[in-house]
Amino acid sequence: MKMPDLSTTDSAIKLVRWLVQPGQSVKRGQALCEIETDKAASEVESIVTGVLKELRAQPGDMVVVGQEIALFETEMPSTPSPPTASAPAKASGLFARNRAAAPAASQSPAITLSQPQQTLGRRLQASKQTIPHFYLQASANAEPMIRRRNAASPKPVWEAFFVSAISKVLKDFERIRWRLGAEGVSTNANSDIGVAVDAKGDLFVAAVAALPTSTVEEISNNIRERVREIQEGVGEARGIRPAAITITNLGATSIESFTAIINPPEVAILAMGKIGPAPIVQAGQIAIQQRVALTLSADHRVINGKYAADFLGAIIREIEAF
Amino acid sequence: MLAQKTYEKSFVLSLYERMVLIREFEERVKFLFLEGAMPGTIHQCQGQEATATGVCASLQADDWITSTFRGHGHALAKGLTAHELLDELFGARTGCCKGKGGSMHVGNMKKGMVPGIAIVAGGIPLAAGMALAFKMRGSRQVVACFFGDGAVAEGAFHEGVNMAAIWKLPVVFVCENNLYGASTHVSKVMNDTCISHRASHYGFNGQTVDGNDVLAVYEAAGQAVADCRSGNGPVLLELLTYRRTGHSRRDTCAYQPKEERENWFSRDPLDRFAGVLLERGDVSQVELDQVKSCVEQQINEAVELAKKAPLAGPEELLQDVFAPLS
Repeated sequence: MKMPDLSTTDSAIKLVRWLVQPGQSVKRGQALCEIETDKAASEVESIVTGVLKELRAQPGDMVVVGQEIALFETEMPSTPSPPTASAPAKASGLFARNRAAAPAASQSPAITLSQPQQTLGRRLQASKQTIPHFYLQASANAEPMIRRRNAASPKPVWEAFFVSAISKVLKDFERIRWRLGAEGVSTNANSDIGVAVDAKGDLFVAAVAALPTSTVEEISNNIRERVREIQEGVGEARGIRPAAITITNLGATSIESFTAIINPPEVAILAMGKIGPAPIVQAGQIAIQQRVALTLSADHRVINGKYAADFLGAIIREIEAF
Repeated sequence: MLAQKTYEKSFVLSLYERMVLIREFEERVKFLFLEGAMPGTIHQCQGQEATATGVCASLQADDWITSTFRGHGHALAKGLTAHELLDELFGARTGCCKGKGGSMHVGNMKKGMVPGIAIVAGGIPLAAGMALAFKMRGSRQVVACFFGDGAVAEGAFHEGVNMAAIWKLPVVFVCENNLYGASTHVSKVMNDTCISHRASHYGFNGQTVDGNDVLAVYEAAGQAVADCRSGNGPVLLELLTYRRTGHSRRDTCAYQPKEERENWFSRDPLDRFAGVLLERGDVSQVELDQVKSCVEQQINEAVELAKKAPLAGPEELLQDVFAPLS
C-alpha cells in the first residue's frame, strides 16, 4: 500500500505511529497509522483486507505521496478485477492510468529529490519569485582578519569573523531584523545569525547565537557545534529557525563573488567569496592586498539602497578592524 | 419520528436502494482516491443520502435540480448512473460531462441536472432563473436547488431567494444543513441557526425537516413541489443532516466533536430506514442484503469500465464549452 494523497500541499507526510503490527489481520477501511501533514494530524485507512506482512516506513519518517508504506498479503486484488486478470495483486501506481498515457515517463528510473532539497526548493522559489531582490557588491581588506586568525589556536572558522562583524553592527540597523507579514511589519525576536551549511549536498542554515560582546572563538565554537549537529542529522538543528540574517560562504572554493537568494522571512543575506590577493591603489601606488568580496542581497520592500549600503559599509569597517 | 404513512413495498425498496447506491458509490470512490487510482480531491456525502434521495423521489423526470461541489449523491438520486459518474470522475470522454466536469461539476442535461455549480450559493440565482423560464413558458416544471448551510450567509442567497419570492417562482430551495461550512460550525456564522426561519422574512413558506429520515424528507419535498407546481412557490426546506467524512478528502474532520459524531452516527439515514422497514415487516433482511449486493455488483462493473474508459483528449478541450450562436 502506498501513501495516499492526503497532504493539502506538496509537503511530505510525517508518519507518527503504526496502529497495527506485522502479522495482524486488517480490514479495508481500518485505521493503519497516524500521520501528520503540514495542516493536521489524521489517520490513514487501509485500502485492502488482508494480513499486514511488512512495514515499509517507520515512525518519524517523512513519506511522500505514492511511497510504499506497507506490504499486505491478500486473497483478492485491492479492487475487484475480472477473473482473467492474472497480474499479482499489487496496488496500482499513483495515477497509474495517467502515467500509462505518457509511455516515455515510465522508462527511466525516477530520481527523487531529498526531503531537505524539496523543502529548500519550495522556499527559495517563493523567495526568488516574490521578493524584489537587489544586490550590493563591495570588498574588504582581509589582512587584519587573517592575522587575527593565524594568531589563534585552534583557528576559528572563517564564518565566525563575519558573524562577529554583523553582530556588532546589527543594533544600528534594526530594519535588517524587520519581518514583512500579512499584518504588517514585526521584528525578529532574536539576533542569531544564520550560517549556510552544506551536509552531503543538502543545504541547511545553522542559527548561531552571537552577541556584540561574543569573541570570535566563542562564535566559532558555536558554529562548529551547530554544523556538527546538522551533519549528524539532529532534527532540531536541521529545522528552520528564525535568525536575524543569514551568511553564505563559498570562500573555500575558487568563487570570487556571488549573489545569494534571501532566506525568508529574512530580508537580507550576505555572500562571501574566496579571500585572495588583489591590486589596490594606496597613496597613489599600486599595492597587493588580501581581500574578500562581499555581496549583500536585500529585500527592496523593506530596505532601500542607501540603508543596505550603510549596513554593508559598517560590516566592512568591522572586518577591517579585527 | 419516521413518517407513518404506508407506501408500496417497491417504492420503499427503491428509496433504500438509491441510498445504498449513494453510500457504496462514495465509499468506493474514497478507496479509489486512497489507492491513488483517482487524482484530485473529492467532496463526499456519506451520511447525507436521505436528503438527495427524498427530494429527488418527489420530482418528475422533467423537473430539474441544481447541485453543488458535493454533488455525487444528488446526481445518483436524480437518475444518473454510477457508470457515467465514475467515468466522469476518471476524466473519461464517456463521462456524464465528457470528462470535462470532474467530481465538482457532475450533471446531465438530459436527466434534469445542471452540472454542479461549485461556487458556494452560486446555484441559487441560477435556479431562480430556471424557475422563471418555467413560469414564463407555463411548463409547470419545478427546480429543486440544493445548497449547504454555508450558502445562507452569501449575497447570492439573498438575491436569488428574494427574486424567487417576489415572482412566486416554482423553486424548492433545499438547504442541506450539515452543521458545518467546511470546518466552521453554523453557530459561528449566523445568530439564528434555524435556517428555515429565513423563508418568512422573504414572505414564503419554510420548514425544518429531519434530513436523516428519508420518508420525512420525501413527504416535505412532495408538499413543497406540489405548492410550487400550483403557483404557490417558492418553498425553503431546511434538512438537518450530518456528513460522516471530511469536507473534502484531505479534511480530517477534527473539528467535529466525538460526542456529536457518535450522536449523529446513531441516526444514520441508511441504518434508520432499514430498521424501520424491518420493524414494520415491510421487507426482510434477505431483501435488504440483496439490494446491497446488487448495488455492489453494479459499482464493481462501473469501476472496471471507468478504469479502461478513454480519456478526453486535448482536441476536445473547447467542444461543448461555448453555446452555439443562434
